Formats: sequence, structure tokens, C-alpha cells
Amino acid sequence: MAQKPKVDPHVGRLGYLQALVTEFQETVSQDAKEQVLANLANFAYDPGNYQYLRQLQVVDLFLDSLSEENETLVEFAIGGLCNLCPDRANKEHILQAGGIPLITNCLSSPNEETVLSAVTTLIYLSSPGPGSHPELTALPVVQCMLRFSLSANRRLRNLAQIFLDDLCSPSQVAEARSRQAHSALGIPLPRTAAPEQC
Amino acid sequence: MASSGGELGSLFDHHVQREVCDTRAKYREGRRPRAVKVYTINLESRYLLIQGVPVVGAMKELVERFALYGAIEQYNALDEYPAEDFTEVYLIKFAKLQSARTAKRRMDEQSFFGGLLHVCYAPEFETVEETRKKLEERKIYIARTTKNKDHYMTKKKLVGEQKDTKDFRQDFHSEMSGFCAAALNASTGNSNPGLPYSCELPLCYFSSKCTCSSREHVDRASNSSKDVGNHDQTVQHCYHSDSLQKIQVNTFKNSVTYCGTQKAITPSEAADRFMPRTTQLQERKRRREDDRKLGTFLETSTSSSNEVMIGPLLPDIPKVDMHDDSLNTTANLIRNKLKKVRSLNYCFKRQFGYRTKWRIICIVIFFHFL
Repeated sequence: MAQKPKVDPHVGRLGYLQALVTEFQETVSQDAKEQVLANLANFAYDPGNYQYLRQLQVVDLFLDSLSEENETLVEFAIGGLCNLCPDRANKEHILQAGGIPLITNCLSSPNEETVLSAVTTLIYLSSPGPGSHPELTALPVVQCMLRFSLSANRRLRNLAQIFLDDLCSPSQVAEARSRQAHSALGIPLPRTAAPEQC
Repeated sequence: MASSGGELGSLFDHHVQREVCDTRAKYREGRRPRAVKVYTINLESRYLLIQGVPVVGAMKELVERFALYGAIEQYNALDEYPAEDFTEVYLIKFAKLQSARTAKRRMDEQSFFGGLLHVCYAPEFETVEETRKKLEERKIYIARTTKNKDHYMTKKKLVGEQKDTKDFRQDFHSEMSGFCAAALNASTGNSNPGLPYSCELPLCYFSSKCTCSSREHVDRASNSSKDVGNHDQTVQHCYHSDSLQKIQVNTFKNSVTYCGTQKAITPSEAADRFMPRTTQLQERKRRREDDRKLGTFLETSTSSSNEVMIGPLLPDIPKVDMHDDSLNTTANLIRNKLKKVRSLNYCFKRQFGYRTKWRIICIVIFFHFL
């Protein structure tokens, strides 16, 4: 849940968020970066903050942080995106900023929470009905979700199942299944998952 | 990231309580010391795992304590969950996610029968349908919250802009036309050149690179009334700044109306329509003073101009020359006495009546000549 700032909510909220963004951009300490990013990601949970976050371009900050080497920063950034992407305006911004490739890259992360947040974000970014965003239901993504749906990790399994059922057409799933049988390459599962059973 | 097999009822990484962060900068320290963690809708769940429950047969009390936060659908002990000595682990499923959130926040780190509870979410117990429902509810909640906020902000903005426009119409008449031109030059792909100044002020005040959507338009207007103290300064700032880089504004009808209306209405009409309360009070005072000057009142001494005057002044006693110095002196003295007595007239009228008043005047004059 979002942490409450110490200052007066309406007058100081924007200033506080601005201070966080400034610290994130200027600090050299990795700990401070992680703390600030986590703080921003938690703020992104509350819809009341969306106008401020858009104003301060925090959505772009999250997207940029997905390319960081620090896995914790990636985890927090994708968590922040997962929190704010159900909002229509934020969703459009992410799509226009070319966020889908950055998010699908997170599917190959060894961090469990990163992968879960990435799958959830992709679910929220898609519109009802298949075919609305071709990138979201591209073959590699669907293949990845198929593998996830067989994972021993129940959370991952559930989310992958929702993705396949609600976002993909049966033909897309069938094609991915048939292609996967012949493919030697695959997106590795996160470390916490047990080896999949075929 | 350790987990024993990933089976239900086993230890997961998200169950482990992380260490509290003690290296936070002062300005972002919260009320309670907290770990560095991000909560997403994935992590939250109607299922709560409660660790550290002392083995005293207090399951009933535990459930009753948690039931204070909402209806509980089911609960059971997790016997195979790795637990510390002399403690048990319980799973509680709430009917609503919000109840689980509240219970987790309130009960985590709370004392219970001598032990310290550790409460965390357990989303691994959810079914596909429960997860789907959870994601859907989150989407609906956000849509409803932002829709209400937009509606409220639109109302507030329309009311605010009506007032603002009347207040500052005079001052911004010339600047606004310049500002519109600047906005037109600076914006790309902007179909509406008439940008309301109240929307644009925080745009360049707070950030050098701003993009504006139709939603932001409404939201930012509310910020302008809260965050911007001096409209004069900030309009100047925006007019001279180079920060209007990318402005994508959807058609906003009111802005065009305001821009056009400003040019048509003259300052005097604006003054007639709305006058702040302080100005009205000053206006009344000015009129009162004018009436006083134009009326049949003679000017009194300078000290009387500081007095609070209610109603018209009574005509002063006409000065008559007695052609004798001593008589004139006496007449002046009587006149002055009468003036003094008259100042008490109002009170005497109320309390004692006219006859009493004249008796007193006569007595005063009589004693004066003694």
C-alpha cells in the first residue's frame, strides 16, 4: 500500500513525489535508488496519485528502470507499472511509449515477482478480445505463457492461464503449442519454479 | 529465493519477513519502520498466513480477533508449514480483499497470547477464478476512482475557472492573447489554440518536459488553484519560458469560450459583475463620505472626522454677533456647552426623554453663570 507522506496531502504530495524523483535521478547509492523506487511503486498503487505521477513522468521512469542491471530495481519498476497500468490514461501512455517489448523482456527474469508483475501488466495492457494488440499475443509471448501455465508455481500458473484464456484466441494457443513441440529454445522459468512436467 | 518445492502449504519467499530499512533519508521516513518492499495486486490476497501463534489452543480467539476486520470464509491450521518451536501457523480466508488488507495491516507484529504474530498474504492458495476476480476488481476500482475524480475535478474546474476568469480578466486581457499565441507556436499537433491559462501554469512551473492529455487537463486545473499562489508571476513565467515543448491537448470547448469572452468584455463590466467583499465595504465607506460632503452639514472640527458617524449631522447653532465682546464670549460659551450636551443627547433621549434633556441644559447654563 502507498506510504503516507508526512506533509499535508494535497499541497505537499506533488512536492514529495518530485523530491523522490529528484533523489532517484541524482543519487549514486544503490540502496537509496531501491528505496525510492519502491516508494514510488507503492505510490503507484493509489489512483489518487496518478495525475502527479504522470506530471512527473514517473511512468517513463519505471519503463527506463526495466533496463537496469540491478534485479531489485527491475522488480520494483515492473511492480510500479503493474500497479498503475489498469488506469486507462497510464495504459495508453505505456503503449505509446513502446512499453510492451520492455515488459515482455521481464518475462525472462530469474526473479519470481518480476515475472508475475510482468504477466499481470500484460494482462492489464490488453483490451478485451484477441487481436487488439498484436505485440501482446505474439508467438513467443504465447509460447512463454504456455510454459508458465505448466509451472509448479501456482501463482504463475494462474496468471498464465488467465492470459491464455482471456487474451489469446484458441488458434493462437494451438499454433503456439504445435510450434513449441519443435522448438529447442525457450524462455527459462524463474528460479523458484520446480521443473515442469510434460 | 528459497522455497521448498513450491507446493501449497510450504514456505515461500514472500512469506519471509524482511528486515526493516534503517538507511532511509529523513524526509521519507514513515511513521513506522518498514522494510523495502513493493506491494502489487499479485501479492495481495484474501488469504492470510498467520505465523507465530502460540500453541495454547487459542484458535477460536485468533479467528475472533481477525473477524473484527471482516467476514471470514474459512480458516484452518497449517500443520506442515515450517514453524518456530511452540508456535503454529494458520490460514484465514476473508470474504473480501479489503478486509484482508486491513487485517494484515493491523494485526501484523501484534501481540497475541504472549507471542508476536507475523501476518502475510498467501496468494498461492488462490484458484484461477479467484485470481481473475481479484484482477478484475482492481481494474473496476481504478476505473471508478479515476472517473469520480475526473467528474469532481471537471466540476471544480468549471466553477473555479468562472471565478478566476472574472477575477483576473482585467489583468490578463493583454497577456492572455500573448499567451495563446505562445501556446500556438509551442504546441505541436494542437487543434485548440485557446488554452486556459489555469491549466497551463503548473505545466511549466513544475516540469520542463510536460505532456498533457485530456485527463491531465482537468486534473492539472485543480492543481493550479492549490499549488499556484500568485497567478501574475506564473503567467509571466510561462509566457517567457521555453518549456512548452510537447502539448497534446484534445478539443476543450470551455477554453475557447474563455479566450474569446475575455477579449469581448470591458473592464468596467467585469467590475460590475463581481466585486470582492473588501472592495464593497470600501465602496460603501466612500459613498458615505461623499454623501457627507455633499449634504447640508457644516464641517466640524478635525477631531470629528475620526468619529463614527451614524446618520446625518444636525445643523449647527448659527453664530450671532451681539456687537459686544463680553456678550459674544458668553454666547460662544453657551454654544459650546450646548454642543457638549448634544453629544449626550442620544443617550438622554432614550433614557430620560426630551423634557429631562432641556432641564439639564438649563441647569448647566444656570450654574455656568453663577
